[in-house]
Amino acid sequence: MLKIENLTKVYPNGTQALKNVSFEVKDGEFLAVIGLSGSGKSTLLRCINRLIEPTSGKVLWNGQDVTAASGADIRKIRRQIGMVFQQFNLVKRSSVMANVMSGRLGYVNTMSSSLGVFSAEDNQRALASLDQVGLADKAHVRADSLSGGQQQRVGIARALMQEPKLILADEPVASLDPVLAHSILKYLEQLNKERGITVICSLHFLDLVHRYATSAIALKDGELVFQGLPKQIDDAQFKAIYGQEAERVSII
Amino acid sequence: MANPKKKPTPADHGILLAICSLVVPGLGQMVQKKRGRGVVIFLATLVLVYITDWFFVHQNIGKVSLGKLTTSWLWLPLILYWLWNVLDSYSLAVKRKFSLVPGVLLAALIMYVVAWNVTDVKLNRLVERINDARTVATNLLNPDMITMTVDGQDQICAWKCMYTYIGDKLAHRTPAGPIRVSDNLLDIVGRVKLVAPANWQVKLGLAQSGGKVKTFVAGTLLETIAMGLMATIFSTILAIPVSFLAAHNIMSRIPGGTVVYYIVRTILNVVRAIDTIVWGLIVIVWVGLGSFAGVIALTIHSVAALGKLFSEEIEHIDPGPVEAITATGANWLQTIRHAVIPQIIPSFLAYSLLRWDINMRSATVIGFVAGGGIGFFVIETVRMGGYQQYATALWAVAVVIIIVDYVSEKWRESILKDQPQKDRKKHRTADALKIAFYVILGLAAFMYSWNVAEISIRSLFDPGKNFGRLILDFVSIDLSSKVVQVVTQQMLVTIFQALLATTLGAIVALPFSFLAAKNLTGRSQLSAWLYYLSRAIFNILRSIEALLYVVIFIFWVGIGPFAGMLALAVTSFALIGKLFSEAIENIDPGPIEAITATGANRFQTIIYAIIPQITPPFISYLIYQWDINIRMATIIGFAGGGGIGLTLTTFFGSLQYHKAGTVVAFIVVVVAVMDFASAKLRQVLV
Repeated sequence: MLKIENLTKVYPNGTQALKNVSFEVKDGEFLAVIGLSGSGKSTLLRCINRLIEPTSGKVLWNGQDVTAASGADIRKIRRQIGMVFQQFNLVKRSSVMANVMSGRLGYVNTMSSSLGVFSAEDNQRALASLDQVGLADKAHVRADSLSGGQQQRVGIARALMQEPKLILADEPVASLDPVLAHSILKYLEQLNKERGITVICSLHFLDLVHRYATSAIALKDGELVFQGLPKQIDDAQFKAIYGQEAERVSII
Repeated sequence: MANPKKKPTPADHGILLAICSLVVPGLGQMVQKKRGRGVVIFLATLVLVYITDWFFVHQNIGKVSLGKLTTSWLWLPLILYWLWNVLDSYSLAVKRKFSLVPGVLLAALIMYVVAWNVTDVKLNRLVERINDARTVATNLLNPDMITMTVDGQDQICAWKCMYTYIGDKLAHRTPAGPIRVSDNLLDIVGRVKLVAPANWQVKLGLAQSGGKVKTFVAGTLLETIAMGLMATIFSTILAIPVSFLAAHNIMSRIPGGTVVYYIVRTILNVVRAIDTIVWGLIVIVWVGLGSFAGVIALTIHSVAALGKLFSEEIEHIDPGPVEAITATGANWLQTIRHAVIPQIIPSFLAYSLLRWDINMRSATVIGFVAGGGIGFFVIETVRMGGYQQYATALWAVAVVIIIVDYVSEKWRESILKDQPQKDRKKHRTADALKIAFYVILGLAAFMYSWNVAEISIRSLFDPGKNFGRLILDFVSIDLSSKVVQVVTQQMLVTIFQALLATTLGAIVALPFSFLAAKNLTGRSQLSAWLYYLSRAIFNILRSIEALLYVVIFIFWVGIGPFAGMLALAVTSFALIGKLFSEAIENIDPGPIEAITATGANRFQTIIYAIIPQITPPFISYLIYQWDINIRMATIIGFAGGGGIGLTLTTFFGSLQYHKAGTVVAFIVVVVAVMDFASAKLRQVLV
């Protein structure tokens, strides 16, 4: 279980990205995080695995205080938490296999991994992960020869290498054609339902939230303005989150 | 029963393709649609065989005796390289991965053994003559800027002496003697002198003809600045019409234009391939020694360089407005005026500013051959063993170049930012005043520089008596086998000198470049200091031309290609360090974030997220640097750094212009080929 307590982040330039945010995510949930650009969604996700240091507040992961963890401990926590990024964040010139393998770095020896040597078991795991996202035949091509949707699936396969208990997905479909959004989110849904991996996913489109999420939170200017079931977001709520000028749009 | 029509297995193909590559290296690869790989392997084999043979025959490089047989041991790695190529072809056929590494290593081995020998590397000298180096270093750190008079004797008052002097003053003690700015520094910057008045002063009644007036006489440094400025202004003005003639999209619109385009492009490329310093040698035959010769040499090279950049800029403009203006019925000139010029002004200005930076650097060394400026001053002082005076010149050059570099860069940034101006109507008078101020300042600088750089249009049309002969000799260059052999040998020395300098510079620069990359430095105070320190080292070393460094290394390891190589290595270190650190700063931070999020440690993050991203630009910069170093190595001999430059000055000095013409032709060919090859290679890499 993930518990966020009074999380606050102030950037050095004075921007207050998160203000006293508290919520809980139960194991096995698919939590959608919604809000406008700049509302603090990315900061929130990155504070959970401390890619960004929160200014104050606590993140508790299965009872362990993430915010207080030391260097070695935080790496042990991070390897249980997979992350999927809006820009995919693959090393474009490396092969798909090398990118997927890098998801295992938290588990393996530094020296052998630096030489690119991995155990047979890890190789099997990488092929299985690629198979899971339907890219088994692309293992040895360069990452930048894939389409955006395929690159994001490689990103998911990389996260799977960590055998994660939680996946943080930061706008995973925002850089893709809308028609590809479902294909990516279906993979996340599958992992959530079949393997019981908790998913926290920030999303732009409300209809995607309705379709995939089991619960939702909304941020506005760094504050938590909604917490509940996706279907509870009615028109009034919608205007509160996105502002008076917002219109509902839907994708395919 | 054997089936005669059995399908050939990939292994059968492999053997066939391996035989292809055994007969002609690279052929097997080419057949398998690995064109680039095959061509590179083939060309590399040709080059390796040629240099192994050539240097064994002419310089006994790699000589070993096996009983009666005397041969070069370099044939061994060459045979291994050949075998690697065969294996590579075979494994391509059976779709097994085969590493490039052995091939590259074997080729590199041969290249470096040859390079080491022809550059005449003598590491023992570095150690044996360390005391000489220490003397030079002490002198360099204690420039002659202040003179102290002790008991009627003038002596140099360096840092320690000044420290004592200030300490004495502060404590109200009597210092050892009075101090003043040294004559040396005045020579560099300038001083007030009594000189005969200029014509305009007499005409305005400010002075009497035949009398003397107190005037500020510019020193060598100001002369250098004036030369750089004049050359930039002249070349910008001249390059503009030239660039239109060299732009394909413009010239293809007028009849016969394409022919003009090809001719102009070829001339630009040839002129550009000859270094400014070499142009200096030619120009002094034309207008004689002096600052003006320097300005012309700088201008000629700049026109070609700017002409090429400008024309490429014209070729890359948005064709939309051109189409639209043509559609209105405008003629050719109108189209250029209204559709082309508005688009190209910012980038032309930016390129001119960049060229200003380059011209200032060249102006510091053009005096080595053309006379005038600080280069001439350096030659004179070093000849008399005045290393402390030379040191002052180096520091002065460093300061000026760093300022020019900074101003040029900031100015270019602000030009290229290309922001729509906000409210133009406000502050109209203030703006007008500002513009008027800049125009007056610019005009004053122009007039003053004109004067200081001794621009004399008349002497352009009054060529020296040898100039006609030079032109004739350059048309009929000496291609006798003896001359060709000497030139080939020196050209190869130059190329290998550049290779070694690039390698040495890169090896030293690599660790520094990580320290100088802002995105990798930690948050600690120490790493911040290391960042600024390495940046400062890069900038200071980079501000001084290799030719000025040669002087130091000659004193240390003696005249010859080794000294030249070390001087080139210093500038390579600085430029590679800067480029590498910028490449590191430009990497995509996404993968670093992603790899960190998997729980990887710092070292793993470097290996998996940073190294794969920086390898291609690094290799690309190395090739680029080698290209630059070959150009630089062609002139390093002018200051005693060996290689083709020495041959060239010898031929020029002894008025053997037809042989000098051969050297110039060789330089043009080699530089052009390297330029083309390095551009192609870098295109493949990035």
